[in-house]
Amino acid sequence: MYWLASGLLYRRVVSPFTKLDPRIKLLIAIEFFVLSLLASSVIGVAIIIASIVAVAAFARSLRRVGRTVAFSLIFATFIFVLNLWIGLGLLRSLTFALRFIAIIGSTSIFFITTSPDELEQIMKWMRIPRDVVFAFVTAVRFIPVVMLDAFQIMDAQKSRGLELEKGGLLSRVRNLIPVLIPLVVNSVIRSGELAEAMESRGYGSTPKPTSLYGMRLRWYDKAVLVLSLAVFVLALYIYHFYTFPF
Amino acid sequence: MTFVHQNGVKALDGVSLTIEKHELVGIVGENGAGKTTLVRHINGLLRPTSGSVLIDGADARGTSVAKLSRKIGIAFQNPDHQLFSESVEHEITFALKNFGFDDALIEQRLNWALDFFGLKEYHKSSPLILSGGEKKRLTLASILAWDPEVVVLDEPTVGQDAIQKAKLLEIARTLHSAGKTIIIVSHDVEFLWSLQPRLVVMKRGRVVEDGPCAVVMQERELLEDARVSQPQLVALYESLSRRPASPFQDVSQALSWVSGERR
Amino acid sequence: MASKGPEVPLLSVEGLSFSYLDSPRAALTDVNLKINRGEIVILAGQSGCGKSTLLRCVNGLIPHMYPGDYKGRIVVDGDVVAETPMGKLAQMVGFLFQNPENQIFMFSVERDIAFGLENQGLPRQEMRRRVDEVMGLLHIEPLALRPPHELSDGQKQRVALAGIIAMRPNLVILDEPTSLLDPKTASELVSLVSKLNKELGITFVIVEHRLELLTPIADRIVVMDKGRVVMEGTPTEVLTNPASSTHGLAIPPVFSLYSELAERGSRLPRAPLTPEEMAQELNAP
Ligand SMILES: Nc1ncnc2c1ncn2[C@@H]1O[C@H](COP(=O)(O)OP(=O)(O)OP(=O)(O)O)[C@@H](O)[C@H]1O
Ligand SMILES: Nc1ncnc2c1ncn2[C@@H]1O[C@H](COP(=O)(O)OP(=O)(O)OP(=O)(O)O)[C@@H](O)[C@H]1O
Ligand SMILES: [Mg+2]
Ligand SMILES: [Mg+2]
Repeated sequence: MYWLASGLLYRRVVSPFTKLDPRIKLLIAIEFFVLSLLASSVIGVAIIIASIVAVAAFARSLRRVGRTVAFSLIFATFIFVLNLWIGLGLLRSLTFALRFIAIIGSTSIFFITTSPDELEQIMKWMRIPRDVVFAFVTAVRFIPVVMLDAFQIMDAQKSRGLELEKGGLLSRVRNLIPVLIPLVVNSVIRSGELAEAMESRGYGSTPKPTSLYGMRLRWYDKAVLVLSLAVFVLALYIYHFYTFPF
Repeated sequence: MTFVHQNGVKALDGVSLTIEKHELVGIVGENGAGKTTLVRHINGLLRPTSGSVLIDGADARGTSVAKLSRKIGIAFQNPDHQLFSESVEHEITFALKNFGFDDALIEQRLNWALDFFGLKEYHKSSPLILSGGEKKRLTLASILAWDPEVVVLDEPTVGQDAIQKAKLLEIARTLHSAGKTIIIVSHDVEFLWSLQPRLVVMKRGRVVEDGPCAVVMQERELLEDARVSQPQLVALYESLSRRPASPFQDVSQALSWVSGERR
Repeated sequence: MASKGPEVPLLSVEGLSFSYLDSPRAALTDVNLKINRGEIVILAGQSGCGKSTLLRCVNGLIPHMYPGDYKGRIVVDGDVVAETPMGKLAQMVGFLFQNPENQIFMFSVERDIAFGLENQGLPRQEMRRRVDEVMGLLHIEPLALRPPHELSDGQKQRVALAGIIAMRPNLVILDEPTSLLDPKTASELVSLVSKLNKELGITFVIVEHRLELLTPIADRIVVMDKGRVVMEGTPTEVLTNPASSTHGLAIPPVFSLYSELAERGSRLPRAPLTPEEMAQELNAP
């Protein structure tokens, strides 16, 4: 179960793609997203998925993107079967299923290659208020920590003879109480300590805080920007004027 | 026995350890050495990736945590990870009910635990209003109430003042002389030195030393390597130019030897 | 900083009493205390005697964040705490807490060290300079880009301290900073405190139950009991005073041995602070 918590942890990878300005990464993800939504043929979606895989490889994150995509396969299969069942035909059902994979792939490539720090910068760039941004940052930072708390609490209670999986639905729900109460108590304690630590480091003392990192478009970013837009427009053009055989 | 966490961290790496009945064992070692991971194998919360855990000679593999816990009580480091009841009383009886004790026995064990841990005056109050030291004692009470044969304490002294530590020391000694098997994980070398347990030193998932406290605590290089420091009385003993055959167990021993020397 | 003479204490607590809102008992009662520039002071006492409460009063968390009944005053470096905004106090008084996890907010070590500076609104180059300087001082440059979940507890505590030192406070207070650390990591943190004290002249007030860790570097111990300051003096004065154990202090063996010896009429010429110093005294003919 711990992998669930660890899956939420950002892992730093250095690659030509991860080094891009986060706004460019967001743009590329959005382009993929739009193309996946518009694609209406098996070949079209297949090409998009292939490009996503290529970008993931370029970002040295093939395995992590692969893991999410593998996870989405379950749903994709479900979509496929459902569409077949309502009589959409093999090709269209397949397109829908693949499209779902492409959408998941395009979003996950953004979230996997973008550090929470960069997400924060994007949010600031979008002029989201600082308190909201900071709340987001702390949530991302502490969700895995709180999950770890939950596992430790379950361990402590299991060691006192609590059997979480025992009994009918009602008693299972009741069994959760000894886990949920300490979890809430601990979260309250933790947020109190966080608030103290924030105050002690002068959070909110100036209306205009600065940032150690800034976003700046270098020539490299600009080149990728132009390239990706060109490819995007070309793809739209192809969609519009060319029909794939299937 | 080896254990690999799901994130690929090899927290235990070929650990072999046998603990006999009625033993008093201390486990020390640097942060992340794998002490807590090891402890969680004893009652089956974690199962070894390879190797096996034998309890009373039987492989623990097929036995549930609940069943193993009946025999092995573990008190984890943070009391806030387990206190949840509306009253101290209920907190103590929680496990007894889980284990299916009858009411008369529950009543009897409850009274014993409240008495032994000095919690009588609080029996109706909420665990949340207790002080850090009292919370610690309550977690111990809630575990010893079901009378497990083996008692495991993970970092019992964190945040505890001298008075609480003295109480913990006394509790550990009393339980040990009552025939319990006791395993204590701690960074507090002075506390361990007062207990004089069999001492297991861990480093990077391995057991690097295992022996009587008085002997192990003298192995300065090994301890240094495992990021453990020597208790003051051992450091003093080793720096003396003339000294007795073994280090001083407590201040009064040191005192009588030193005053003998100086006469 | 140096303009005020050494006779003016850096921190002075004058007749301070405090009770938390809705709490029937006073957490602090008439506390008076002076701490001079450049001192390292241990704040000791039984659990619940008000140590953390006093520290919160010193850096302004009380009364700025915790409401309650507040009497008396605290002056830090010429400023009255209750009348000084938190943001300014944060620059003067750094606070290192017990749990390393809950003081690191950002996703890289260097960014987290800059957190306080960002809050002050310093320009980027200045932040960069200070962050690099502090990382060098604390030997954590290799960790600069690591996310917090890849750090050990000891490293986290070091990073949190770096984030405080970067703000260049005159006074740093630490509340049980070593209780989750292994013995060597704990003594490394203690050496770091000593180094920062010597090289940067930072004054430290430290709450710690394992006194043996700190006695070698401390100038003074202040003992509290039930919300009052009950004893004060050098480690030797306090720890060889029989009254100290009644206030819940764990007397390190070296000190109990020294005072027992003195009681039996064989006082050592020099009071030792460490086992090695004691052995030296005993080895002397
Ligand atoms: N639930 C978990 N999932 C993944 N890795 C873990 C988990 N718990 C611990 N680890 C890792 O396993 C290793 C051993 O951790 P463990 O908690 O057993 O150490 P410890 O000796 O108890 O340390 P400490 O003295 O700090 O309590 C560490 O590297 C730790 O980061
Ligand atoms: N946030 C709070 N609200 C109400 N009462 C509090 C609060 N924090 C502490 N107290 C009470 O104030 C008193 C002093 O507590 P404080 O935390 O200062 O003690 P301490 O000396 O730091 O103890 P420890 O060594 O256990 O950390 C205690 O009686 C405690 O219950
Ligand atoms: Mg541990
Ligand atoms: Mg405290």
